Amino acid sequence: MAAPLAAAAPVDHAYLGELVARARALALAGRPEWHKLLHYVPNMGAPGVHSLVDSPEFFHAPGGKTDPQAELEATLASFYQEIPETADRQSPQCAFVARFAWLDEQLGFDPTRLPRQECKRYREWREALNAKGLTLVFSSAYLNNPSSMYGHTLLRVDARDQDERTRLLAYTINFAANTDETNGLIFAVKGLLGGYPGTFSMLPYYLKVREYSDMENRDLWEYELALTEEEVDRVLRHAWELLPAYWAYYFFDENCSYHLLRLVQVARPELDLASPFRWWALPTDTVRAVTAEPGLTAKAIYRPASATLIAQRLAGMSGEERRRTKELSLRSIGANDARLSALRPERAAAVLETGHDYVEYRRITGKPDVPDPRALARELLVARSRVDAPSQVPALRPPARPDEGHASSRFSIGAGTQAGRDFGELRLRPTYHDILDPDEGYVPGAQIEFFHTAFRHYRDRASTQLESLIPIDILSLSPRDEFFQSWSWKASAGWRRSLVHDGTRPLQFAADGGAGAAWGSGRRMAYVMLDGALRAHSRLDDGHAVGAGASTGVLFDVGARLRVHGYARVMRQFLGENDTPGAIGLESRFSLGRDLALRFDLARQREAGRSFDYGSLSLMVYH
Amino acid sequence: MKKLLAVAVVAAFPMAAMAAGENNVGACGWGSKLFEGQSGIAPQVLAATTNGTSGNQTFAVTSGTSGCTQDGAVSSSWRTAMFIDGNKHKLARDMSVGSGEALDSLAHLIGVDAQDRAAFNSLAKDNLARIFPSDDAATQQIVASLREVMAADARLARYTAAL
Repeated sequence: MAAPLAAAAPVDHAYLGELVARARALALAGRPEWHKLLHYVPNMGAPGVHSLVDSPEFFHAPGGKTDPQAELEATLASFYQEIPETADRQSPQCAFVARFAWLDEQLGFDPTRLPRQECKRYREWREALNAKGLTLVFSSAYLNNPSSMYGHTLLRVDARDQDERTRLLAYTINFAANTDETNGLIFAVKGLLGGYPGTFSMLPYYLKVREYSDMENRDLWEYELALTEEEVDRVLRHAWELLPAYWAYYFFDENCSYHLLRLVQVARPELDLASPFRWWALPTDTVRAVTAEPGLTAKAIYRPASATLIAQRLAGMSGEERRRTKELSLRSIGANDARLSALRPERAAAVLETGHDYVEYRRITGKPDVPDPRALARELLVARSRVDAPSQVPALRPPARPDEGHASSRFSIGAGTQAGRDFGELRLRPTYHDILDPDEGYVPGAQIEFFHTAFRHYRDRASTQLESLIPIDILSLSPRDEFFQSWSWKASAGWRRSLVHDGTRPLQFAADGGAGAAWGSGRRMAYVMLDGALRAHSRLDDGHAVGAGASTGVLFDVGARLRVHGYARVMRQFLGENDTPGAIGLESRFSLGRDLALRFDLARQREAGRSFDYGSLSLMVYH
Repeated sequence: MKKLLAVAVVAAFPMAAMAAGENNVGACGWGSKLFEGQSGIAPQVLAATTNGTSGNQTFAVTSGTSGCTQDGAVSSSWRTAMFIDGNKHKLARDMSVGSGEALDSLAHLIGVDAQDRAAFNSLAKDNLARIFPSDDAATQQIVASLREVMAADARLARYTAAL
């Protein structure tokens, strides 16, 4: 920071002393409002607090990051500073409008003894926003994009002159890692280690919609917050303070959703949304916390992604219309083809619109299967504009909201039998969804599990042992049809027990991957994959096993509560331990309520040349 | 932080400048190019999704000014041009059917009164090919042709001042 160019505003030392004394008497530095504005959180394993904000300019006292009292007093003193306003400098009164407003509210500043400054930049910013309300926007995960698995949240500032049709013009306040890193892997690793500073930023909503709905094909949910004018004011004043600040950024705890909650909770003095998420903040869970707060959300609006709408449009078409759409999108027929003009105007319009959207979808997702897709898209639009029919965009019944789905962690307790030995089993899965779990509020076919851990206690043995510990397990089933040709894939790594040639079941390191295809829809799906596997353990021949194989399965719902997964898989281990493990079986989940279900598995398994039966029944609790 | 912002802004600037050159909307274009480069699953899968954003998307944000924004808010004289610049495809699509939120938002920015909205929408639909003369029409070109088309319409001519 350069030395402050503060004008030598006369400090009324007597009045400042009086304010400090009153602030002490009222114990303002201990108040939750002050802690929320300065982002103080309790130290771990030690008394005291520290602020999560990492930019030194955010504090006025030298030890302000850890000393709320000193920071409050230095803040009061700073309000006498007057700095000529430039693009990147402002007086403390203007840079910290929320602190000023709150302290003024508590202490009743006398404007003759603590002159109020104009704060032109802040005023203009507020005028440009012209805010009436706030909306929490949740962007869901995308089926074939599990790195966006937990979704994202941002805050939209709704303007006074805005209505449902002009929401695109609103601004958004977004928290993100600030980086130019384009290598996703480096980004992920450095991001996890806090290698990038996180900052709040503002962008028009239309740019975020383009990014999420059009480019990444993620559905959006807009949760309108039920806030009074004063509450909106509090949040925006604080947002102004946060825009220049930065945070060391961690994906899981200090992520976008966590910091957004910390911003939203200043709306009401008593609101404490963020505390439960200090160490683990999944965007869906933060949305749930906001909707669970009585009287905080007004309504939720669904904004389907481009691909969702295309799929919906196609679902409403006849076979012939689908064929024409496909032909148009590949330029195998022209926009003026006689077979098109033979359709009723509404149907011709639907085919042209869908054809155009599909060409754009292919272009934006980087699948250039037709030369010059931009020119083709324009041709289709011009042809569409000549058809006399209203928009054929289908009305879409919104799916279950993200806050309506099952809770994101799960534990289960059950009993089973494997190779004639009975056991009791306890399973913990901190996050988040598997393909058997109810899809409501989640993306069908997208399984993401972190640190799924199982303990077993065998009846014929005194000890309880770790059966498996899988830090990461992802399965993405994306059904294919003539329009969408996504691949399905899976990847997992961890430790699990299996039988080896000496008859023991050691806990082996296991890495598995596979790629293939799926067909059907969320309620009825079939898949085939080619798999690869690596096992490592000292009791394996040469300490390892490498294999290749295949797996296939069908998933189907019977009614609203029961989902069944039938599967078969076989693996040929060709390096290291010589074996051909395989299994054929049925897994099923029967929901008893939103957060309670039964799970029943049956299988015939083969490991280390021996075949045996497996069965288990467990009760699963989502929490 | 200052240094960091400077880095982000500098890193972003070539992009902004490039986009500006193409769109002729001064330094105000979000530049369709900003997003066009990010197609395909790979950049999607990791970068955009892990809640990250590249510096060039934040060039107009946080503190200070950049181009035609101040503190993240677009100055009013540039709002329409920037909106068109950032929504060309959506606008063309809405015009082709004569309805939609991008078209409504444009009408709102231009200040088209409620009783003239239907006329505005059908004018846009009837003249799509003129308003978007090519598939890579520059923002300035789109604004100019929209102005021309509206000026020729008795009812809507009075709104061209806002374009």
